[in-house]
Amino acid sequence: MHIAVLMKSVPDLVEDIALDEHEGQILFDEMSYVPSEWDDQALEEALVIKEESGAEVTAVSIETQDSDNLLFTALAKGSDNAVKLVGDFDLSLTNRQRAQIFADYLHKQPFDLILSGVQAIDDVDGQIPGLVAGIMGWPHASVVTEVRVKDQGIILRQEYAGGLVAEIESSTPVVVGIQAARKPPRYASIAKVRQVAKSRQIEEVEVPLSNVPALTVRRFYKPVASAHAEMVDGDVEDVAARIAEILQERNLLRR
Amino acid sequence: MIGQDILMVLTILMFLSATGYFVYRMLPIFRVMQKARSTNRLDNWPRRLSFMLGQVFGHKRLLRLRLSGILHFFIFSGFVVLMIDVITAIVQVFDPHITLDAPLAFVVDLWAVLVLIGILLAVYQRAVIKPERYHGSDERDGYIILAMIATIMIGIFLHESFYPFAAPYLFHVHPSLNPWGFVGYLLGHLWLSTHLASNPVVAESGYILGYLLDIGMVFAFLAYLPTSKHLHIFLAVPSIFLHKTRPHGELVPPLPEDEGMAIRTFTDVNWKDVLDLFTCTECGRCQAVCPAYAAGQPLSPKMVILELRDALRKELNGEDSVPLAGGVVKAEELWACTTCGACQEACPVFIEHVPKIAGLRAALLEDGEVDKNSQKVLVGWDRQGNSFGQPPRKRPAWTKALEAPIKDARKEAVDWLWFVGDFASYDPRLQELSRLVAQILQQAGIDFGILYEGEANAGNEALRLGEFGLFETLAQKNLKWLESAQYNQIFTTDPHSFNALRNEYRKFGFEKPVKHYTQAFLDLIEQGRLSPAPLRIRVTYHDPCYLGRWNRVLDAPRQLLERMGVELIEMPRHGANSFCCGAGGGRIWMEEVGIKERPADNRIREALSLNDVNYFVVACPKDMSMFSAAVQSTGSENRIKVVDVAELLAQAVGLSVPQSAVAIK
Repeated sequence: MHIAVLMKSVPDLVEDIALDEHEGQILFDEMSYVPSEWDDQALEEALVIKEESGAEVTAVSIETQDSDNLLFTALAKGSDNAVKLVGDFDLSLTNRQRAQIFADYLHKQPFDLILSGVQAIDDVDGQIPGLVAGIMGWPHASVVTEVRVKDQGIILRQEYAGGLVAEIESSTPVVVGIQAARKPPRYASIAKVRQVAKSRQIEEVEVPLSNVPALTVRRFYKPVASAHAEMVDGDVEDVAARIAEILQERNLLRR
Repeated sequence: MIGQDILMVLTILMFLSATGYFVYRMLPIFRVMQKARSTNRLDNWPRRLSFMLGQVFGHKRLLRLRLSGILHFFIFSGFVVLMIDVITAIVQVFDPHITLDAPLAFVVDLWAVLVLIGILLAVYQRAVIKPERYHGSDERDGYIILAMIATIMIGIFLHESFYPFAAPYLFHVHPSLNPWGFVGYLLGHLWLSTHLASNPVVAESGYILGYLLDIGMVFAFLAYLPTSKHLHIFLAVPSIFLHKTRPHGELVPPLPEDEGMAIRTFTDVNWKDVLDLFTCTECGRCQAVCPAYAAGQPLSPKMVILELRDALRKELNGEDSVPLAGGVVKAEELWACTTCGACQEACPVFIEHVPKIAGLRAALLEDGEVDKNSQKVLVGWDRQGNSFGQPPRKRPAWTKALEAPIKDARKEAVDWLWFVGDFASYDPRLQELSRLVAQILQQAGIDFGILYEGEANAGNEALRLGEFGLFETLAQKNLKWLESAQYNQIFTTDPHSFNALRNEYRKFGFEKPVKHYTQAFLDLIEQGRLSPAPLRIRVTYHDPCYLGRWNRVLDAPRQLLERMGVELIEMPRHGANSFCCGAGGGRIWMEEVGIKERPADNRIREALSLNDVNYFVVACPKDMSMFSAAVQSTGSENRIKVVDVAELLAQAVGLSVPQSAVAIK
């Protein structure tokens, strides 16, 4: 079983998104980036499969900025290979473009199972796994919380609305969007990542940027708040009196 | 002559076989020590020697537990004094003209009696008092040893009392009973009055039996030692001599390039660590003071040492080795440690438990195994430099509410550089305290500054979680500014940062003076820059582990309280024997699973046992969080209030103390 895990870094939401409000543009270079948490889950699930039934795991990332640390971390956690897709890419790549780049690389490779985070903070609609599967013409499932290898096929656990869970069977190759791994992602110690960075290589694969259908973002902006919360300050008596007043104003008091 | 010949040959055979077997059992241990890492424990030997003598002959630590200390002193001194008997008894077999002079014979008998009293007390302690600290120790071994020693004492009296009656037949000499050897003298008269002495067969048998029970048992004892906790007879003294003399609070010494912190096998520890395992006396004093153990957690520092020792013995017996971290010592045991160091403080043979636990944690961490909440914190330190998951630029946000701005020490020279720390910077409740500290400094006219967003977590806890690489990264971030900024001394409100800056940053060549705020405030009062008015309250004071135990700052906080007109009532556990709040070593972030009584609750109950003490004074931001919560969870809001020493000082120097931080109305 050869597993590819599609990984990327996303802006760290601990800081505000850097926005040029005048131009309506995101200032991609002014933000700090962290590994997408769902991709971490996908990597963990791949490593669990590897430990459980044996597999070769390859972490794949598109280089839009420095992605070495992300990939060295994947190697430190137990990935067998790390591949960096290089080309004329920058941080403003659309998800459609990203999916095309991944697919261009993947279709030449003998992978049986492609795992990706089900979504990312800049892919809230979870396009990547679906688009990659669509472009390659492979089966696809998303919002998956468990992947197991059985004989030559794959058994998936997929969450449905209304508290239902489906057990799905698929032949390989297949693309899966991971919601959560079976166990929390493991920790990669700084020393181990450093050691891996010294001793291991990241494979670089050049991929052309193909034309894909695109939308144009006119502007990014922060929505204007329509209403504000009222903060009630003061000592206990004042606060209690004000709360009672508000309840009365809104006819929420029953006598 | 035949009887003497047999005894001589027997003695030589016993000596050779016992020492031979002893060496045979000890050699593998020394081979392990040879393969282990190096550590310099022979520097400054005169100081080591005097320290050792104080501990060995003064029994300083042992006497902290009165009964145990006294009974141990009886038995221990017996081992030293009764060497006189062992040597004379053996020499006598080879040259019967040698006898003990009057005072020496008295000394031997007196000590043999003292040892027997010691043994009775020891049996009383084990069988009747049954201290909890023995839980998990090999009690059978304890009794075997006591029985062996008692046998030796009986042997001494037997061969001594029968000697004058057996010697004419065995050795052809005619000694008389020596009244100075009073026990032997009395027994000798008993043998005379019962006519046993006049029967050559009984006299000879009595002497030979006594000789075998004495000298034979001494050799049997020697052969038994390598597999017993009583190996400490030989190893304790060297172990105390070889005690750690590097800065007490330094967890990890400077590491050579190719060595990490992680302990996976016995080659990853230093030779003193190996020695520690076989020096352990299983006395359980570490267990008795361990906050994790008291809280019902699966950790006992004693069991960690014993588990490692037994694993090493098994390896030496050719069994397959089990991974040390997570196998021999379970992950739950390792993560339960608060790194408070109470175990090391209590250990009479100066075993270092905490570095071993941290090294084993490092091995778990390298394999990606760590408590998930702690993992988030580690990631937060790596990304944002703080444990609150907040952006670095918000670190100085607490300063905005101050009337007078604080200097940016990155941009201009200051007298004092204040290293604020995560909790005092980000925790809203503690930010009030930080502002009070700033106001106190401003009132004292101190030229001070902070590093603003240039400060990162000092890395003390990252290191104690076993994340050396992250500690290094954090230290480098801070050192960038600590080395380029201009200042005369560092001042910190956080004992954990204090410890890192003072002890752990030395490995990077950083040696600026660092003061805890209790020390710095005391300086200000002594220089007349602050004149506190007496507060006239009764308080108790909690020594933070990383201030008191690890850095020995015990007097400054107490003197500071005295200068503020505060009456200090000490809790039973105070000073270097303070009881941890439970937050250290990363515990503050970990899930509390299976805790019977939180260490902080235990501590608050200790404070409540004091008479008329309404204030629980702390000098550590983490203590403020931990103990405020403990006061609530023990439902003691009306009886005791947690206050920071800075709040008291602010009050004493007439600053207006904000209501949210206020202690005294």
